[in-house]
Amino acid sequence: MRKYGVPVFIAVVLILPFLYLPALSVAGTWKYPFLLPASWSPEHWERLFGAHQGFVPVVIHSVLLSGSVALLTTGTGFFLGRLLSGDAGHRQIQAVGYLTYAFSPVIYAYCLQFFFLKTGMSGTVPGVIIVQFLLFFPFSVIYFISHWGRNMKALEELCFTLGASRRDAWILALLPVSAPAIRTAFFQIFVFSWFDFGLTRVIGQGRVSTLSLTVWQYLAEADPHIAAAGSCLLLLPPAILMLINEKNIRFKP
Amino acid sequence: MNINVENVSVSRSGHQVLNDLSFELQDGHILSVMGKSGCGKTTLLRVIAGLGSADTGTITIGGRDVTGIPPQERRAVYLYQEALLFPHLNVLENLAFGLKIRGENKKSAENKARDMLEQLDLTSHAHKKSEQLSGGQRQRVAFGRALLVSPSVLLLDEPFSNLDSETRMAMQQLYRKMAQERGITTIFVTHDLKEAVIMGSRLSYMEEGKLRVYDDLQTFAADPLTGMQREIGFWQSFDKK
Repeated sequence: MRKYGVPVFIAVVLILPFLYLPALSVAGTWKYPFLLPASWSPEHWERLFGAHQGFVPVVIHSVLLSGSVALLTTGTGFFLGRLLSGDAGHRQIQAVGYLTYAFSPVIYAYCLQFFFLKTGMSGTVPGVIIVQFLLFFPFSVIYFISHWGRNMKALEELCFTLGASRRDAWILALLPVSAPAIRTAFFQIFVFSWFDFGLTRVIGQGRVSTLSLTVWQYLAEADPHIAAAGSCLLLLPPAILMLINEKNIRFKP
Repeated sequence: MNINVENVSVSRSGHQVLNDLSFELQDGHILSVMGKSGCGKTTLLRVIAGLGSADTGTITIGGRDVTGIPPQERRAVYLYQEALLFPHLNVLENLAFGLKIRGENKKSAENKARDMLEQLDLTSHAHKKSEQLSGGQRQRVAFGRALLVSPSVLLLDEPFSNLDSETRMAMQQLYRKMAQERGITTIFVTHDLKEAVIMGSRLSYMEEGKLRVYDDLQTFAADPLTGMQREIGFWQSFDKK
């Protein structure tokens, strides 16, 4: 019993929110102290897509925004991480990178807001992309500095001594070998951006809408059923990315 | 091909790693290089491979001055302590990698890789990935991959140091046999005295950036620097007991 008790408890705690959210989104009447709703209804989903006409564009907009941030940040971190990995001072740079995470993203956004107002990027999509990039970029660089370690350098040199040009070494070895790391970084940054609330709210100033902000709005309106339906959608893209990236994040004993 | 290293010096951060180093190695010979850690053995291999540059001196391979020529054009394959197989490729693809980048057509490269698999006794592992192989098998693939591009020079940097003694012995025999059959000039860096003697047709010892190449095993053994006398003394002490 003890052998299975703890893993089952952990599994239930982890899985419960994923069962509870869909259930809440299709619950009709659900009164205390009943464990399950008295009736089920698609009404909240219909309201989500019906009454809020702008909902689908918000989802598309969120995917594009997070995708852009993830692409930009992963790409920059990948190449900069390579440049810095050979640098003797990369440890100091890494230490500075961690400083970004010393304070909350919202405070970080408020600190930068002045510059975004001055440059006219406040309340714009590029402004939100840039502020998210600024926050996630150190993570990407730190991540890729570790990736471009001694082993990658040795692989590149091996390609050269086997006769590969710089281009061949990149196409046939370095990029394929780096693919899992790139996928993982992209996935991670996409998720950071996708669930970001504070930065988008402060720099976007309500003029840039994302799914996270919309779900928050439903919660603020005390509409838990629609918020649950929105949250289910909120979980969808990360879940798809997780499936794609499943091989890299799977636990290997 | 002959290797001729003349008056090569390398300094890094004010430290003289290679100090006016010169030696010549005849075609088809295997030169064992011994020496303490940090004495410059790896730097010597890297400079010959073109992966590091020398401050002064010249390197000639097969009569061609390769000083300043990029590693791609030297045909000097450098093998590391770790086997360094490409993790996204299987054994067969790893073997054919060098041939592919040298423009060999797919079919021919695959046929040559299959022949090599057979010689390495790895036929049943053709479609396995690097992570599914043992350390010795990985080293065999790395060696086969290097041999397939017909290098002018093979530079081996302690390739067996991570292997258990039995696998190590088997690998020493395989390497020596295959390198000699193909007449590939080889420089073999090792810390292991026994391995240096087994592998090398020439023996050398490196100290303070200079390489001392011995005429034969007797002169190598007679030099207290090589530690061979100490080793012999150690084993003789068992007889006395």
